[in-house]
Amino acid sequence: MKSIQAGTLESMDCLVTLTEAPAGAGIKIAITGASAARFKSAMEKKIKETLAELGVKDIEVAVQDNGALDIVLGARVEAAYARLQKEGAR
Amino acid sequence: MRRTMLYLPGNNPNMLTRGHLFGSDGLILDLEDAVAMVEKDTARILVSKYLHQGEFGKCEVTVRINGIDTEYWKDDLAAVVPAKRLDGIRAPKVDDAGTVKILDEEISRLEDKNGIPQGKLKLFCLLETAKGIWNAYDIATASPRVAAIIPGGEDLRADLKTERSDDSTELEWARRMLVFAARAAGVDPLDTVFSRVTDDAGLRKETKFIKQLGFAGKSIIHPNQIGIIHDVFNPTEQEIAKAQKIIAAAKEAAARGQGAVSVDGKMVDVPVVKRAEYILVRAGLSEVK
Repeated sequence: MKSIQAGTLESMDCLVTLTEAPAGAGIKIAITGASAARFKSAMEKKIKETLAELGVKDIEVAVQDNGALDIVLGARVEAAYARLQKEGAR
Repeated sequence: MRRTMLYLPGNNPNMLTRGHLFGSDGLILDLEDAVAMVEKDTARILVSKYLHQGEFGKCEVTVRINGIDTEYWKDDLAAVVPAKRLDGIRAPKVDDAGTVKILDEEISRLEDKNGIPQGKLKLFCLLETAKGIWNAYDIATASPRVAAIIPGGEDLRADLKTERSDDSTELEWARRMLVFAARAAGVDPLDTVFSRVTDDAGLRKETKFIKQLGFAGKSIIHPNQIGIIHDVFNPTEQEIAKAQKIIAAAKEAAARGQGAVSVDGKMVDVPVVKRAEYILVRAGLSEVK
């Protein structure tokens, strides 16, 4: 299964790792880092929303967070998915 | 007003979030030199999200795209043009009117596609080569979109086969040429960055110099530079009071059907009134005519 990253561990950013999952596996999310304890459910919601917009149903998402706002989290998930798609097209 | 336009690295969420809080007149979300080649894709998405969210206060918001000699520039434009909070595009390495026309066509196409009024987005052209400086007037008049022309710094030095000196002697002629071209074309001449970010005295000296040449403002790379540049560009209370006196006298003279009038023993004619109006615009007490 392919795995790819987007983002950084700089302040207010996050590093998102997406790993392909077999059909039917669903979405699995693991969040670690600065805001994980307090904002886990809000971050999970944002990730799921972003993946739904992209039409993704089966994937593993690992986020190392360093205080990323919603907008940044969404951008990093989208960028990682675009990279995964590009990688798959090769 | 375009006294200060602050570069924000396009892949840096911290600066993209806080950039508008420092009080510069404009922001430049940078997809070019501040972004590593391997991060062009992620920066483009991040900048696009921020532009769609649109929280940049009162700043004039522009994006510096990658040059038309790269594979990135069309994707950059496609990502940012549809965003609600974008005022213009800062284009690097504009060498001639042809480059402006290529950019103009692509921006027009995207404006049409996204239901944006034609010509809404302005062009800020970076003239970073000797050829670009030589063609400054042609570039400034190549499209009604062009709002400003800006000389390059390091790239221009490299193209001139010279290097940076303490007083930037090597850029002096280019700066003068650029001001003449911009003013002749009716666009803003905006200066390049001052890269020694801890040298406040040097920045003040350079800003005084470029203001005297006729520049309307300066690009900046650090928020600490904003206060100094505004301080140099802002009219003093004395200048404002004098300008208000001149405008009042001119209005009174016009009402009486007189042309020239005397204020404090000095003749006031049209150019003096124009200068006084510009002082009040810079002081934020009058709108640009």
